[in-house]
Amino acid sequence: MANLPRRRLLQLGALAAGGAALSACGGGDPAAAPASGPTGTAATGDVTVWSWQGPAAMMKQLVPGFQKAFPGIRVDVQDIGNPAIWDKITTGMAAGGQGLGDVLHIGVDYLPAYIEKFPGGLADLRPLGADRHRGAFAPGMWETVSRDGKTYALPWEANSAGFYYRADLFERAGVDVAALGTWDDVIEAGVTLKAKTGVQLLGIDKPASQADSANLFQMLLQLQDSFYFDMQGNITLDTPQAVTALTIIKRLNDAGLIADMAGGWNTMITSIKKGSVAVQSMPTWFGGIIEESAPDQKGKWKVRLPPAVTEGGKVAATVNSTHLAVAGTSKVKEAAYAFAEYVLTRPESQVAIYKGKGIAPALMSAYDDPVFHEPSAFFGGQKKGEIFLEALRKPSYVTNYSADYPRALKVVTDAQSKVLLKGADPATVLREAADLLAQQTDRKVVR
Amino acid sequence: MTALVERAGAPPAHRAPSRRGWTGARLAPYLFVGPALLLFAVFKLYPIAWSFWLSLFKTDGALQTFAGAANYRRLVADPLFWSALGNTVTILLVQVPLMLALAIALAVALNSPLLAVKGFVRLGFFMPMVTGLVAYGLLFAVLLNPQSGLVNWALGLAGVGPVPWLTHGLWAKVAVGLALTWHYTGYNAVIYLARLQALPADHYDAAAVDGAGAWQRFRHVTLPGLRPVMLLTIVMSTIGTLQLFDEPYVMTGGGPDNSTMTLGLYLYANGFKFFDFGYASAIAYALTVIIGILGVVQFKVLGERS
Repeated sequence: MANLPRRRLLQLGALAAGGAALSACGGGDPAAAPASGPTGTAATGDVTVWSWQGPAAMMKQLVPGFQKAFPGIRVDVQDIGNPAIWDKITTGMAAGGQGLGDVLHIGVDYLPAYIEKFPGGLADLRPLGADRHRGAFAPGMWETVSRDGKTYALPWEANSAGFYYRADLFERAGVDVAALGTWDDVIEAGVTLKAKTGVQLLGIDKPASQADSANLFQMLLQLQDSFYFDMQGNITLDTPQAVTALTIIKRLNDAGLIADMAGGWNTMITSIKKGSVAVQSMPTWFGGIIEESAPDQKGKWKVRLPPAVTEGGKVAATVNSTHLAVAGTSKVKEAAYAFAEYVLTRPESQVAIYKGKGIAPALMSAYDDPVFHEPSAFFGGQKKGEIFLEALRKPSYVTNYSADYPRALKVVTDAQSKVLLKGADPATVLREAADLLAQQTDRKVVR
Repeated sequence: MTALVERAGAPPAHRAPSRRGWTGARLAPYLFVGPALLLFAVFKLYPIAWSFWLSLFKTDGALQTFAGAANYRRLVADPLFWSALGNTVTILLVQVPLMLALAIALAVALNSPLLAVKGFVRLGFFMPMVTGLVAYGLLFAVLLNPQSGLVNWALGLAGVGPVPWLTHGLWAKVAVGLALTWHYTGYNAVIYLARLQALPADHYDAAAVDGAGAWQRFRHVTLPGLRPVMLLTIVMSTIGTLQLFDEPYVMTGGGPDNSTMTLGLYLYANGFKFFDFGYASAIAYALTVIIGILGVVQFKVLGERS
């Protein structure tokens, strides 16, 4: 209740600022802006949206509806591709915003870098009315998109750590996956599985031929409330948590349970189709990928939250998220924001996207839709949506990816390659990695 | 009007051409090279100068602070820079001589009067050169895929165990070297071939009269004749190898564990992945200096005696 006047005030402020922005670009009459509803109703202009594959396709489907509601705005959604989009945004930002799209789809791994390293590169969305959505998203999400009191993006998808597995194979091996309590149990189960079925437990891109080869390592860290950096931005790679995580991976590898996914994405998809690995310890969004890649394996897959790293430890972690931002140099910020708001804050939009590509929304009200509570035929009748919703509702460790995440990821994947390909000692390579990262970034190492 | 008056009043032979020269004949060459110079200045000179200026700054995306030689000092202490340089030099010392030797052999074979359908065969060897860098990089990555690649399948038929192309430090270097050799050998062979065809036949006749066999003719007539283009190809291959980027970027991403990390890749990673344009510029200048020194050395060693 006490909150109400303040929120109202914020809305009014946003409206005034929005009106000012509008008249500044000669786009319309501020008085015409309605007192309620999406802030950008009166906005006009041609908006270019940059995204990739699945999300881009989903946004394209939302465009006709949006243009009906906002007749003055024309939207062009472009599939830039991932990871190409990061290079393209970086180049545009380095050129002072030249040639950037108006709406930019940005992952949590790049957002801090763009915010911190290119001041003004992304627009502050508060003057456009973003604050009124503050409480609408999953715990921790607003902190992720805000910095020093400014809000640089609206959250889209929030991915919780997951553990997808071939139930049929484990059944043949006589292993009850639901009962696995820790990763020690997982290793044991993997050995049994391999002995009984010949199938390896999981896959990692051992030579790190693609950037995302450290997904498992990251998840094992996040389950221990840790990451590459702490909240102060210090390096936390030479910590017991990091050594524990990499040691689990080494033990899996030494037991012959890790298939090499050299070549990255394509190799991984092929391995799913061929059924050459039994587990994909991947976040929420990956369920849609499995379903799309191997429709003939319907009913063979199941999903659960990952086992804890230590007995009784956490099994829920929001491992990453993506967001829509507006370029700071965009000439149609109002209109761009209106589209982002339309896609991200309307439950209808998010439900349609979830139905299309299985992308899990950070928007909590979307979860009222029955689609998140239906049994999934592909996943053996499990209510997959509820499993991840349960994780999403839990207070999550807020991961500080920091502006130096790309550098950190590089030293981590190199360290992991040393362990997986040359049998190096996890503690040693992590200490070296932490030192190298410190040399490159002038950050302190916490030990 | 004035020109007419002056021409009428002064000795025409001296003044008229010089005056007209400034407006016409003398200015013309500058006008002709003007556009090229302007384009060069805008697209080459300006970035070259600007990146040197940038290399003196500590940059963090759009944030810049003047730091003098700090980036260069950091370079000297950066283990990854040295391993990138080491990888580049390894490829340079192993792959370039092998490829050029192969190219000379190929050129001599293609020049042979015994060869039928010359045009077709020459085209076949030159074709890789016109293949896009990324396209052929992808092609090699697929062919050499340790699990599903054609190469390992064929080796398997011959009873050779799967080779860890792309996933083992040494083999990844070999894979990149193989790709480079496939792509550039034909190109160098064509340069040698052009030179071979310009060598006067009477040198061979004279050698034959003196009783030189095929090997001696090759050793004492062909090779000395090729010296000027050898300098050309060595210098070009050296520069190309030092700037190596596309092949490792597409095939290995510099991995595993930096074993195919080249200076070009490291520069790119620092600029466009880590937003550290100042440091990337410093790497670029270090690379320029290295290329310059090697170029001078090669000219001195190979160029003088010709």
